[in-house]
Amino acid sequence: MPPLILHNLPPIHWALAGAMISAVTLVLLYVGNRRLGISTGFEDACALVLRVPYFRRSELADRWRFWFLGGLVLGGALSAVAGGDWSPTWALGMFDTVIGWGPAGKLAWMFAGGAFIGFGTRLAGGCTSGHGIFGLSNFELPSIISTVSFMAAGVVTTNVIYRVLFAA
Amino acid sequence: MPVLFLILGTLFGLALSRSGAADYNFIQGMFLFTNLQLYGIIGAAVVFTAPGLWLIKRHGRSLTGARISVTPKPLHRGNLVGGVLFGIGWAITGMCPGPILVNIGEGKLYALAALAGGLAGAGLFGSLYPLLQRPLRLPPLEAGTGDG
Repeated sequence: MPPLILHNLPPIHWALAGAMISAVTLVLLYVGNRRLGISTGFEDACALVLRVPYFRRSELADRWRFWFLGGLVLGGALSAVAGGDWSPTWALGMFDTVIGWGPAGKLAWMFAGGAFIGFGTRLAGGCTSGHGIFGLSNFELPSIISTVSFMAAGVVTTNVIYRVLFAA
Repeated sequence: MPVLFLILGTLFGLALSRSGAADYNFIQGMFLFTNLQLYGIIGAAVVFTAPGLWLIKRHGRSLTGARISVTPKPLHRGNLVGGVLFGIGWAITGMCPGPILVNIGEGKLYALAALAGGLAGAGLFGSLYPLLQRPLRLPPLEAGTGDG
């Protein structure tokens, strides 16, 4: 298994990561009485500044996700500190070795990709967490359709990027 | 409860950070089928979650005795079209929504641009909802596309 970009650390076992994700999902439901789903956090944030009707829905009045999402940032920071130190970085693994754009190019690339994520997850009604983990575990048809769609589109897109557009 | 959500988010973030789920190379490797770690993580998470979820739903009550109702997500054309758009974005950035935040925490500066893009994309989607509603058979505005 190759190392992580973060401090070249060895990754933990996939089954351990799956168990941790599952434990968080189940405790969130059993203790917190919330359904796991991260991408609605984009809407929570939009609801703070955009006055269009879609972001005035009553379900967005519950702000629990801000705490959970804050935890995600904190978890990433703790992981960096525990793995060595925390320092800002532009390191982007195979993007650097194959495509090799500098910071400005990376920002543009990431903003464009992020726009697809924000628009797509909200149109789909969920992302890897809400559809891929919770929805599949609950055998929901919309989640099966979405998960197959985003996995297939990811396979095609990465193959176009690394085996066609920027083929070594 | 806010403290619980913060702790659960932190544990989730640690798992994503240390497993490769928030790592650009691991995501590209998953889509190129050269690194199968992510298939193991997602598969294990679903296999472990499904029976626990079934038990909690059957029990029907949270730890504090409140009624638990798991609202299934609505079925509409956006599940497919949005899924495809999200998959393109996941491949471009090497991040799905959770890992965008994890990467920001790790200090990866480019992830801030992915977050800005995500907010812009979601804002655009919400603004266009009335236009997209009919062709994509989306649920009534108050219901939304699915809370997740």
